[in-house]
Amino acid sequence: MEEKEKKKHRAKHSGPKAEKKRKRYLNDLGIGDEENARKRNPKAFTVQSAVRMARTFHRTQDLKTKKHHIPVVDRTPLEPPPVVVVVVGPPKVGKSTVIKCLIKNFTRQKLVEIRGPVTIVSGKKRRLTIIECGCDINTMIDLAKVADLVLMLIDASFGFEMETFEFLNICQVHGFPKIMGVLTHLDAFKNNKQLRKTKKKLKHRFWTEVYPGAKLFYLSGMVHGEYQKQEIHNLGRFISVMKFRPLTWQTSHPYVLADRMEELTNPEDVRINPKCDRKISLYGYLRGAHLKNKSQIHMPGVGDFTVSDVSFLPDPCALPEQQKKRSLNEKEKLVYAPLSGVGGIVYDKDAVYIDLGGSHAHEKEEEEVRPNHELVQSLISTHSAIDVKMASSKVSLFMDSRPLGSEDVGQEFVMPKEERQIDLKTGRVRRKALFEEEKENDDAVSDEEDDQEAAAMSEDGSDGDDEDDAEEDSDRELLEEEMALGRGKRLKTEVTKEEVVSELPAFADSDDDLEMSSEGEEGKTAPEENEMEEEDEQRTYKNESSDSEFEAASKRVAESKYEINSEDTEMRSQISDHSRKRKAVFTTDSGNCTAEEASESEVENSSLDEGDDEGSHDELEVEESNGKGFLHTQAKKADSIRQTKLKATEAKEDDVENLLREEEEYEEKIDFSADTIGALKWKEDLTQKAAQAFLRQQCSTPNLRKLVYGTAVEDEDHESEDAADELGGLFRVSRPDKASKQKANALDCSKFLIEKPQDWDLEEVMSSIRDCFVTGKWEDDKDAAKLLEEDEELYGDFEDLETGVVHKGKPAAEGDESGSEEEEEDGKMSKPDPEEEEKKKERMDKKRKLKEMFDAEYDEGDATYFDDLKEEMHKQAQLNRAEFEDQDDETRVQYEGFRPGMYVRIEIENVPCEFVLNFDPHYPIILGGLGNSEGNVGYVQLRLKKHRWYKKILKTRDPLILSLGWRRFQTIPMFYIEDHNGRHRLLKYTPQHMHCGATFWGPITPQGTGLLAVQSVSGTTPDFRIAATGVVLDLDKSITIVKKLKLTGFPFKIFKNTCFIKGMFNSQLEVAKFEGAAIRTVSGIRGQIKKALRTPVGAFRATFEDKLLMSDIVFVRTWYPVSIPTFYNPVTSLLKPAGEKDSWSGMKTTGQLRHERGIKLKQNKDSLYKPIVREKRHFNKLHIPKALQKALPFKNKPKNLEKKGKTPKDQWRPAVIREPHEKKISALLSALSTVNNYKIKKAKVKHREHLKEYLKVKQKEDEQKFKRQKEAKKKIFRILGQREKKRQKSSLKGSSKGEKSM
Amino acid sequence: MAGEAQCLSYAGCNFLRQRLVLATLSGRPLKIRKIRAKEEDPGLRDFEASFIRLIDKLTNGSQIEINQTGTTLYYQPGLLYGGSLEHDCSPSRSIGYYLESLLCLAPFMKHPLKIVLRGVTNDQVDPSVDVLKATALPLLKRFGIDGESLEIKINRRGMPPKGGGEILFACPVRKVLQPVQFTDPGKIKRIRGTAYSVRVSPQMANRMVESARSILNKFLPDIYIYTDHMKGVSSGKSPGFGMCLTAETINGTILSAELASDPQGQGTAVLPEELGQNCAKLLLEEVYRGGCVDSTNQSLALLLMTLRQRDVSKVLLGPLSPYTIEFLRHLRSFFQIMFKIETKTPEEENIGGEKVLMTCVGIGFSNLSKSIR
Repeated sequence: MEEKEKKKHRAKHSGPKAEKKRKRYLNDLGIGDEENARKRNPKAFTVQSAVRMARTFHRTQDLKTKKHHIPVVDRTPLEPPPVVVVVVGPPKVGKSTVIKCLIKNFTRQKLVEIRGPVTIVSGKKRRLTIIECGCDINTMIDLAKVADLVLMLIDASFGFEMETFEFLNICQVHGFPKIMGVLTHLDAFKNNKQLRKTKKKLKHRFWTEVYPGAKLFYLSGMVHGEYQKQEIHNLGRFISVMKFRPLTWQTSHPYVLADRMEELTNPEDVRINPKCDRKISLYGYLRGAHLKNKSQIHMPGVGDFTVSDVSFLPDPCALPEQQKKRSLNEKEKLVYAPLSGVGGIVYDKDAVYIDLGGSHAHEKEEEEVRPNHELVQSLISTHSAIDVKMASSKVSLFMDSRPLGSEDVGQEFVMPKEERQIDLKTGRVRRKALFEEEKENDDAVSDEEDDQEAAAMSEDGSDGDDEDDAEEDSDRELLEEEMALGRGKRLKTEVTKEEVVSELPAFADSDDDLEMSSEGEEGKTAPEENEMEEEDEQRTYKNESSDSEFEAASKRVAESKYEINSEDTEMRSQISDHSRKRKAVFTTDSGNCTAEEASESEVENSSLDEGDDEGSHDELEVEESNGKGFLHTQAKKADSIRQTKLKATEAKEDDVENLLREEEEYEEKIDFSADTIGALKWKEDLTQKAAQAFLRQQCSTPNLRKLVYGTAVEDEDHESEDAADELGGLFRVSRPDKASKQKANALDCSKFLIEKPQDWDLEEVMSSIRDCFVTGKWEDDKDAAKLLEEDEELYGDFEDLETGVVHKGKPAAEGDESGSEEEEEDGKMSKPDPEEEEKKKERMDKKRKLKEMFDAEYDEGDATYFDDLKEEMHKQAQLNRAEFEDQDDETRVQYEGFRPGMYVRIEIENVPCEFVLNFDPHYPIILGGLGNSEGNVGYVQLRLKKHRWYKKILKTRDPLILSLGWRRFQTIPMFYIEDHNGRHRLLKYTPQHMHCGATFWGPITPQGTGLLAVQSVSGTTPDFRIAATGVVLDLDKSITIVKKLKLTGFPFKIFKNTCFIKGMFNSQLEVAKFEGAAIRTVSGIRGQIKKALRTPVGAFRATFEDKLLMSDIVFVRTWYPVSIPTFYNPVTSLLKPAGEKDSWSGMKTTGQLRHERGIKLKQNKDSLYKPIVREKRHFNKLHIPKALQKALPFKNKPKNLEKKGKTPKDQWRPAVIREPHEKKISALLSALSTVNNYKIKKAKVKHREHLKEYLKVKQKEDEQKFKRQKEAKKKIFRILGQREKKRQKSSLKGSSKGEKSM
Repeated sequence: MAGEAQCLSYAGCNFLRQRLVLATLSGRPLKIRKIRAKEEDPGLRDFEASFIRLIDKLTNGSQIEINQTGTTLYYQPGLLYGGSLEHDCSPSRSIGYYLESLLCLAPFMKHPLKIVLRGVTNDQVDPSVDVLKATALPLLKRFGIDGESLEIKINRRGMPPKGGGEILFACPVRKVLQPVQFTDPGKIKRIRGTAYSVRVSPQMANRMVESARSILNKFLPDIYIYTDHMKGVSSGKSPGFGMCLTAETINGTILSAELASDPQGQGTAVLPEELGQNCAKLLLEEVYRGGCVDSTNQSLALLLMTLRQRDVSKVLLGPLSPYTIEFLRHLRSFFQIMFKIETKTPEEENIGGEKVLMTCVGIGFSNLSKSIR
């Protein structure tokens, strides 16, 4: 043992220590580090070659700039939404286990069943929304679009599977989110070497797909059905420090990954028609960009909708308030997953649900997983029952959640009242205050208000009573015991809730509030009136809304009221009676009642409450008639009657006020202007103001916002009906009634005419704009003289060297005193202390400015274009953040829309009932906001490439499922290729390994958006499913794809190069259209169409560059525009019944149909391939005319003429054999003829000579004759000319004489 | 499912241009009812019809339906196409009527717009071509729409009632617009202007200049007013004269005012001196109103701010004109955008009336027509 411990020292040869040592050694030698080398051997570092140096410099610069990204404005909100983590992988790879382990890691809580997204707080500044992605391609596509981080689970024991690659490809197309690989099932390897090899192999393959160096995690093995704690912890840490890059599509579109769905359809409608379109509300964190109310959204798998309402809710899974500590405490580790039935409090617009499956409620039971599970399960079941029951019954829903009401719970209750709420915190504060107030001084707060409240309650309560049913009762019995405790308290909280509602300004009036605060005088009397109106708002809302929970809630409250306040029960019953009647009226009215009507009725109610018993009885009748009548005139009459009565009976101040208000409303009906809730004074002013609208506009300060956008932000729906009303406001121009009717058709002119010009000759008026000119007075910080002065103050002391004068800087105080009059006045006004401060401030400002200037000058040197751009973007981002920071969310939401990071509730109408009926929380629901005109359809041009792993090529006119933008849809694309002259030529199939163009009819999506094509989304195939990828190039409303069309014809008459051709066209008109077109024969002779012939019809004359044969075929090549089928069919996979959601199939291809039905294609015989049989072509012998032959030189003369064929025997002629005598005769004859011939020849020659001589003589004679004639002619013409001259002269004379005589 | 963008519906023919322009830009269909329904001569007027025809020329695939009497108009916008075009404007309104809308649409075409407009160049109702050239083009430049091809060229001047003028308007195409923080108008450094006269004595222009200077000289020495006397073919068909003035600040803000003589045979004859003086006073009035954009171009500036990336833009305006107020309402109904409107009382004296600071977050607009290669 001893010996073993005595190990021999081994010097380190590698590692940091060795390195250090070596360095020291080298330093000792004097040949240390690089710097020294540079000093030691400067020659080695000099410039050897200027060119190379330039090149290296160039290269380094290139590499540097390559790293730059185009700077974009950072639009991430201050409090970002949770990061979407998508866990993806093939089945049985351990996705849910990873999610569960992660959740447990972050929240110390075990979720048993996970459905839908789970939101957890993972750190001080980060939240995560974890969602699992199955291998249905629809889900994969949808989630790839919203993912910020993808955890890609890979079964190491198996290797990569198709799903992994498919998902990677989907991600690539839709913007590449961060991807982290996770290898599981590593415990399957027994051999360590094999394990290492596999890891390496998989890692490198993963790197080629993502990027070299992408993070790959190893989850080595399971312990008790979970991954190892440390590994998961590491994974969690990686996730929570990860940085994300902004993806173009995601940052430019708002989107919500819904984590809660609720149905709001009127149960009556569902009862009447179970298949009616539904109204639903979806909840989730808003991500991406700002969402505006009433904007268009797309729900992948369902369709396009218009948002009917958006409201933001308090964050259910809020980040901890900023505090300086390292880790979260247990209470801050929240988890929120309503679809899985987990999460603390569930906020609705008008109710709050509390789930007890929360993070800490059952900590004691944590060891026993089962009970916890059961409880959660029960909650889940109740929750799911909510959805179902909501449709059938109104009350039961609330019963379910009632047992949860305990003392603590009551405190948690915060009323998210109207659509636009204040945030959680303020809501709480307000509630408390009101509650106490009510408790303390029930009397102090006007009775009227209180009673109104009660009336409102009882009204709804009675309404609820009507609909009491057995089911509810039974439910109640079951839960009675549990709720007994919490009830009383709870009811009170409910009351306060109502109170909150009434106290919080409805949106419309919040404007007015604003106005009032700005115009101080009116603020005092406002609140009371305000409340009135809010009541109205609330009531109208109630009547309109079909929200069962709310009604149920209020009903209970009403009950409690009965119990608590036992005074005036009789009267109340009367009221409730009355209100019940009214309620009926209202329901028939179905939300048509305007605010005015409502307010009238409200006032009636209140007056009733306070009024004497006698009076109220009478009035009841009046009102009933009033309510039923509904006509404005009638209503008014009734009002006036009632008013007079009330006047008689009542003397209370409030009511007088009410009355006055009523009267005013009555008056104002003529000018429906700003029906605001100002005080009386203000109201009186109104008329004057309206009269002087124009003057006011120029001189006074009207609340411009109100002026422009009106008091209430009207519904878009109303806008269409009464566009005139939309013009409502104080402004004369937009006065709706008579004025606006004229206005609606007035002159459309953008000029801003001056109706009352000022008199610019007056000195006062002139001086009012004096400082607008450079000649006027400047502001202090810009005035050159002033600046100079300031400079002097700072660096005043200097000596003019030339003159020797020493300048002294003025003391600062002096300078200020010698300032302008205004300043002096200011100084007098303010006290000495502030003055000091001001000066100090000024000095500080000055210093800061100088420093800034210096900084700017100093930094300017090395600022590149890139830096400038970045700086600009940074400034813009800061401005974006700062601009609306100080405003409350209510107003902010109006200006910028709902900002990302908010937890929003989105109401959507006209959703197909299948969506609700077949709702499956396992499938993600995404609401993708659409930009402007992205909801329209048109022709979209793409650049497309068939995926290299897809087995087949794609055929034009085969339906294809595309994923583009948020959408998945089936359409019929046409493929084309662009020719060199810009022509888009149709292709029948996509090229194998090349890009091609494609055009389809579908939703308009911005250029540069990536897309993905699959042939079917149903089922699974072993093959790679992604058929093609591409990008949008262009959008248009017309298309230019053409296909080649060849028209053929045949010559029927051939001249030399001209031909008559028939069979190509059908009429003269057609020919006329093609005149001048180039035509060609198959053999390649080119020609041109000249003119149509009369007969046969459609024949024409054409010329060619050579003579045609009758057997030639002539053709003309034309381009025929192709029409694209306007087929756009969104994939509605979420509407399929549960379990079949991955089996959506749309239009089938003809090939599929044929295959299914066993229809064989009828082949065109001509297009069949068969052995080509070519007839031996017979050409005629070349015939050379004799004359031509003669002229040819010998070598070209046809020499070996073909031998004559044998003459048949019968045509043989017998040989002639002459007698000797006969021979003699013939010899003599030939001799004689020879002699004769010779004689003739001689005579001919002689004759020719004679002729020649004769011609010569003749020519001579002719010449002489011609000469003579010429001379004679000359003579004659000369004489003639002279005579002519004479005559002219004489005539001239005569005329002149004549003139004279004249 | 797609293509069902909500149809907006309005009554009356007022603000027809705004509605059509915004419908085109937002891609939402539009229905206008009751166009002069109660009047003796119901339906669209010729200048409106001409405007609709112009929109039709500019766009591809838009669908316009007008009922028999012309009292109802349905407009389903297509995509803006642009290119080289010609259009004969109706002489009952001046070219400015058409040009104002073109200025809104031109940057968002598929192909750069190059259009020849024929008609009345200057009249008393609409902003004249001169004013738009002097004010709107610099404004467009502020938003990053510039280059050589951005121009308005007056080939011929035509006065009402017969017209006969001709202008060329060319504008490049942009995919996105530049950010704008336009809150300091600065001080006016110079005044420029044009005094034009056609088919009247060339002396008229000089007389106008003289009288205008007499007023403006009290404020600023740097005044130069060009006289523009058109002769022959380029003088149009009717006589007339007028003047437009622009005041330019050190920060590049341009304020404008203009006045034209009564058309031939209508109204009383105006003395050029009087016209010059009135025009100068109008300019002073405009200066009093102030702002970074003059009152005619308020709506253009607001539109361009709206059609921006999702960033905050600011602009300081004078009092909002009725046209602008209506425009703001329309912007809200078409784009769901609301402006933050703050009234700014000038801190110092003597720099005119109250100003309005308009702030908005752009809607993230990008030119969908422009193709990429």
